[in-house]
Amino acid sequence: MSEEKTVKNRKNKFIGENVNRIDGIFKVTGTARFATDWPVANVAYAVIAKAATAAGTISGIDSAAAEKAPGVIGVITHKNAPKLTPAGNLSGGSVLQDAKIEFFGQHSAVVVAETFEQAQAAAEMIKFTYAKAEARVNFDELIKTAQKSPSPARADVVRGDFEKAYSAAEHKLDAVYETPIEHHQPMEPHSTIAMWEGDNLTIYNPSQVVMGMRGAMATVFGLKPEQVRVITPHIGGGFGAKGGAWGNTALAAMAAKVVKRPVKLALTRQQMVNSVGLRQKNVQRMRLGADATGKLAAIAHETSTHTGTTSQFVEGCGDVSAMTYAVPNSLISYKTTAMNVISPTFVRGPGKAPGSFALECAIDELAYSLKMDPIEFRLKNEPDKDPANGRPWSSRSVVECLRRGSEMFGWKNRKMEPRQVRNGEFLVGSGVAVGSYPARQQGTSAIAKLTRKGTDVEATVELAASDLGTGTHTILAQIAAETLDLPISRISVKIGDSSLPPAAGSVGSVGAASFSNAVSEVCLQCISELQARSPKSSGPSDPVPVNVAELMSEANLTEFQTRVDARPPAQAGQYSSHSFNANFAEVWVNEQTGMIRVNRMVAVTGAGRILNPKTTRSQILGGCIWGIGMALHEESILDPRWGNFVTRTFADYHIPVNLDIGTIDVAFVAEEDKIVNKLGVKGVGEVGIVGVAAAVANAVFNATGKRIRKLPITPDKLM
Amino acid sequence: MRPFKYTRATDVAAAAKTVSTNREAAFLAGGTNLLDLMKEGVAKPSELVDISGLAFSKIRSSGNVISIGSTAKNSDTANHALIRRNFPMLSQAILAGASAQIRNMATNGGNLMQRTRCTYFYDVNMPCNKREPGSGCGAMEGINKGHAIFGWSDKCIATNPSDMSVALMALDAVVKVSGADKKQRSIAFADFHRLPGDTPEKDNTLEPGEMITSIDIPMSSAGMAANSYYLKVRDRASYAFALVSVAAAFEIKGGSVAKARVALGSVSHKPWRCDQAEKLLTGKSLKDLNDASLRAAVDAELMDAKPLEHNGYKVELARRAMVLAFKRALKSEVVA
Amino acid sequence: MSDNFPELVDELTADEAELLEEVLSDLGESRRKFIGQSSTAVLGAVVLQFLAKRTALAGEEMAEFVPLGDEQAVKVSFRVNDAAKSVSVDSRMTLLDALREKLALTGTKKGCDHGQCGACTVMMDGRRVLSCLTLTAQCEGRSVTTIEGVAKGDVLHPMQTAFIKHDGFQCGFCTPGQICSAIGLMHEARNGELSYVSKDMRKTAASITLSDEEIRERMSGNLCRCGAYPNIVAAIREVHTGKATDPMAVIFDMSKEGSDATV
Ligand SMILES: Cc1cc2nc3c(=O)[nH]c(=O)nc-3n(C[C@H](O)[C@H](O)[C@H](O)COP(=O)(O)OP(=O)(O)OC[C@H]3O[C@@H](n4cnc5c(N)ncnc54)[C@H](O)[C@@H]3O)c2cc1C
Ligand code: SF4
Ligand code: FES
Ligand code: FES
Repeated sequence: MSEEKTVKNRKNKFIGENVNRIDGIFKVTGTARFATDWPVANVAYAVIAKAATAAGTISGIDSAAAEKAPGVIGVITHKNAPKLTPAGNLSGGSVLQDAKIEFFGQHSAVVVAETFEQAQAAAEMIKFTYAKAEARVNFDELIKTAQKSPSPARADVVRGDFEKAYSAAEHKLDAVYETPIEHHQPMEPHSTIAMWEGDNLTIYNPSQVVMGMRGAMATVFGLKPEQVRVITPHIGGGFGAKGGAWGNTALAAMAAKVVKRPVKLALTRQQMVNSVGLRQKNVQRMRLGADATGKLAAIAHETSTHTGTTSQFVEGCGDVSAMTYAVPNSLISYKTTAMNVISPTFVRGPGKAPGSFALECAIDELAYSLKMDPIEFRLKNEPDKDPANGRPWSSRSVVECLRRGSEMFGWKNRKMEPRQVRNGEFLVGSGVAVGSYPARQQGTSAIAKLTRKGTDVEATVELAASDLGTGTHTILAQIAAETLDLPISRISVKIGDSSLPPAAGSVGSVGAASFSNAVSEVCLQCISELQARSPKSSGPSDPVPVNVAELMSEANLTEFQTRVDARPPAQAGQYSSHSFNANFAEVWVNEQTGMIRVNRMVAVTGAGRILNPKTTRSQILGGCIWGIGMALHEESILDPRWGNFVTRTFADYHIPVNLDIGTIDVAFVAEEDKIVNKLGVKGVGEVGIVGVAAAVANAVFNATGKRIRKLPITPDKLM
Repeated sequence: MRPFKYTRATDVAAAAKTVSTNREAAFLAGGTNLLDLMKEGVAKPSELVDISGLAFSKIRSSGNVISIGSTAKNSDTANHALIRRNFPMLSQAILAGASAQIRNMATNGGNLMQRTRCTYFYDVNMPCNKREPGSGCGAMEGINKGHAIFGWSDKCIATNPSDMSVALMALDAVVKVSGADKKQRSIAFADFHRLPGDTPEKDNTLEPGEMITSIDIPMSSAGMAANSYYLKVRDRASYAFALVSVAAAFEIKGGSVAKARVALGSVSHKPWRCDQAEKLLTGKSLKDLNDASLRAAVDAELMDAKPLEHNGYKVELARRAMVLAFKRALKSEVVA
Repeated sequence: MSDNFPELVDELTADEAELLEEVLSDLGESRRKFIGQSSTAVLGAVVLQFLAKRTALAGEEMAEFVPLGDEQAVKVSFRVNDAAKSVSVDSRMTLLDALREKLALTGTKKGCDHGQCGACTVMMDGRRVLSCLTLTAQCEGRSVTTIEGVAKGDVLHPMQTAFIKHDGFQCGFCTPGQICSAIGLMHEARNGELSYVSKDMRKTAASITLSDEEIRERMSGNLCRCGAYPNIVAAIREVHTGKATDPMAVIFDMSKEGSDATV
């Protein structure tokens, strides 16, 4: 295998270019097929009925009317459901294995009918009675008795002696920051078409981790992985919600098995809030101590939060405080309490997004009390190696991001004191915050297939990768085309199918690095293998110009294929690798109404090699907009009496609309990272949101003089 | 959704008759509220009478009123030259509501009839006296950030979500209705929506089967066109219901306020007419209008506000929003 | 409009290649012919032929359809993407479900089914509406245009082209609705229609040129969770004003840009 990080001497240059999405034409004509768009003959429609209590057991089910309702071909409850092997988030209740209820809105029955209307009407007819148990749903009460997280990943992390350094510090900050429960709410609700052929299951199902979904279904239904096929070429957004397997997918497959027909099952928007995980509510106490010059001496980041009752998942809010600044003494801890809610899970920027809100606001507050510019304050505490583990950075660009961003934003014009800038009815303020997210490559296999007709070669790359709007199709085509030195129109990208070589998932920002390195490697391997077979060739000699058509014809081949199992570079583990950013926000706050507009933002990102600035920029825009939503709009509220969400719909759970978003400038700083992986690719899916909410909240303080530590910053909080 | 019979109405009386005799029947206009509620299981009509084809889609001037057809679309109404010229605040209020797509579907009659957005009303798993009389009010002891600060009862604390209605209230509109027996009546806007009292299931004073045929606005209200404003405060910039909204309109004659009309939205079970504030502002010379005097008028109005556990902010928000709306309405006329 | 983006490159994903194969064999063409034709125009033409075919076929399937069970059936005659349809449907069936489940026009998406997201936006008699809050029964005599029908013959609608150029989507799920909505918006601007952020309700004009703020407000009925809003605005601005802009442009002088916050 070639040691080259990248290819040279190619006529076809695509890597790093602004190539339009190769699947764009299908997305703008409505022909891109999402899960329920696949034409499947004889499909029946399934609708889920949910529990209307948060804890206890189902003591009775009256489904007689539903069973007799027109068009109904199956009513499945825990009483008649096939026995499965629950695993992970497919816990017993969620796949109708027992009568136990763990949270309000738990799946409790599936109705299958000839039409959607019939299934929906029948589902409404099912009447449940419950033996209710006391539900743990009042966060404010429960959090008072929270205990240290039993999860080993969330054990205390102690560096130096925090208490001592903190009490000795000249300048201190002690403040509590609160973020609410949030939902992923991708525009495509989770939906599935499931069909069985004998003991083989095929599901059209949006899956960020294609092989993970295959494995989960195999486990639950007691099948060999090869008996399950997951098809998911396009995913209508996921943001973590489509990373794992949730009950709805298993129920679709179960229903198809029961009625012996293909079944289509789409969650309703209202069902999304209690079906596919959520971002937990976090209460973060921050204590920071610094000396008179602004050097940080101590930091404590103590998170109190909740888990579900069936999982110990806790997002790592404190991670950011372990590695963002050079602080000799620190303490990171988690206390949790179990709640009867759907299990918390990964949501865009898991841990880092809420964690950075707390840390980056705290930094801003401390800088202000020191009368120091918050950028200067950050620069002063810039770490030369990762303080969390002492490892050198494979690359780090925080300083460059801040420098570039402040220039673009015009930071020098910002007033340190709040309430200094006014424009008509509006108070104007600016804020800054930095963010980061770990960069990793994960094992991914890929096959490249070449076919030649005369001098014309077409290539297909195949791997079970996924594209949830991240642009996977496009970047892989770019890499294959340039590496093989072919026009991009000669490349087909086959992804989103578990029958293809196993790949990492599009989660935790590992997708781009893992997929692109695998495709790069398999194309390079194509060339070296062809060169080895070619009588005229003097052996592997990339990077000289290559001509795959010539190589193939010399070797007398019309078809050729090869496969790699790409692995992350061995040395990567000895370094600390992250993507970095700096976010600048200017907010306009209507002093009377309290309505806030982020009129402009600048986001500068260092994320290694940018394979396609156009699609990457879009992901950063998405991160910014998510961050704005987190800062200003998003909040899910549980009624503490019953544990139901009062924010079930898009009318109640607000995400930003077009008018909420002003101008956003995105820039990338050049980062050449030869360590993180061969191509030097980090990820941008997660980092984009990290730090954004803090930048907005800091700007609101700068505009109004009001420090809002509880998100979202809605007008009522500014009254 | 339960099955229902769908028919297209061809004449008012027959349609009204169907709906008055079958208590489970309902008129269907744009469908943007009714269909939503049917999908939630909140409304369960056995029969829908589609009235969108009836001849009530005109907006016209007749005598001393502008008559707005009940089946005219919200978007056509907001953009109609007669409305823009005479009642620009109504255009603003309509355009502040929902989205372009919804306004292209929604009718004026349907807009007045739209039901509360109280989340407990919408969730059939929750108790709600308005949806199911006697089941209790989920919001009273629950999450009531969006609920009423005026005129609520111990049975219901919901607000009326219509933006259009707030402007119509301030414009002294009259709702024309036609019943099963072809009986026509006119209802003053202030009497159209009602307070919840002991019967929160009734949003308004229509009799079963009565259909709104038009909404008439007196031309006398057009004198306020130049100095009117509809302000909507919400949790995001657009496509969201109001936290508080204000319709403010003034007629200025000879340097003073000859007429003042003020209504608040999202603070009560009905659009809230602010008589107190109107009284204090009427007759005021423009040079006496400043922050302090505007504020005094507003304070008088808000004295009776009764906030709930989570909506105390609405009082202060209404206070500030009213002053701001007054200023925007009065524009250059006020120096403050 | 397609002249504006010479750098456009297209290729098919596996499923789309399959789909195209299916179409082309129907049309008696081979996919090979189109390989190497990397312009949107050509590939677009193929996709559009496919769509035309699908719409036509959909009519035949539809004629067969009679609602099952005792549900109240309604007969409806209307036009979909310029083809006459006469169907019998369950009275409860929304236009959205009829398009997707009965007419095989799956381009229109169900994002919420309650009028709260705009993913299901289609054009009805030339105006943008929500198909999830429209009963099929209400479509009698109407003419519906979906994303599959917005292109003219063999040529993509300029809005489709501009969305590709400006990367006006990520996952693409909201995109059909965004594009239909944007086309509706253009009609409304041409008619001089107002929005809440319009400066003066009383001023009438035959046609208006929209500021970015106006475009944002008028597109606020279409949620995009991926956060493609700035790119969507850029695409619409380009088609609306006829001025091509650089999709990667950095604005820098934003003091001017931001100054018209109105709410
Ligand atoms: C997501 C969303 C956001 C919205 N945001 C806003 C907002 O911000 N502000 C706002 O004001 N509104 C908002 N709306 C509500 C919208 O304005 C109403 O749904 C619409 O005006 C109702 O009109 P329609 O013709 O569709 O009524 P329909 O849904 O057809 O009917 C509603 C009710 O009125 C009855 N009815 C209809 N016409 C008549 C008549 N002529 N006489 C007697 N009864 C009649 C029906 O029987 C039914 O009970 C929003 C709606 C949605 C879905
Ligand atoms: S406030 Fe009114 S509508 Fe809301 S739950 Fe109480 S009774 Fe029902
Ligand atoms: S699906 Fe129609 S608006 Fe969301
Ligand atoms: S592109 Fe994914 S929701 Fe808009």
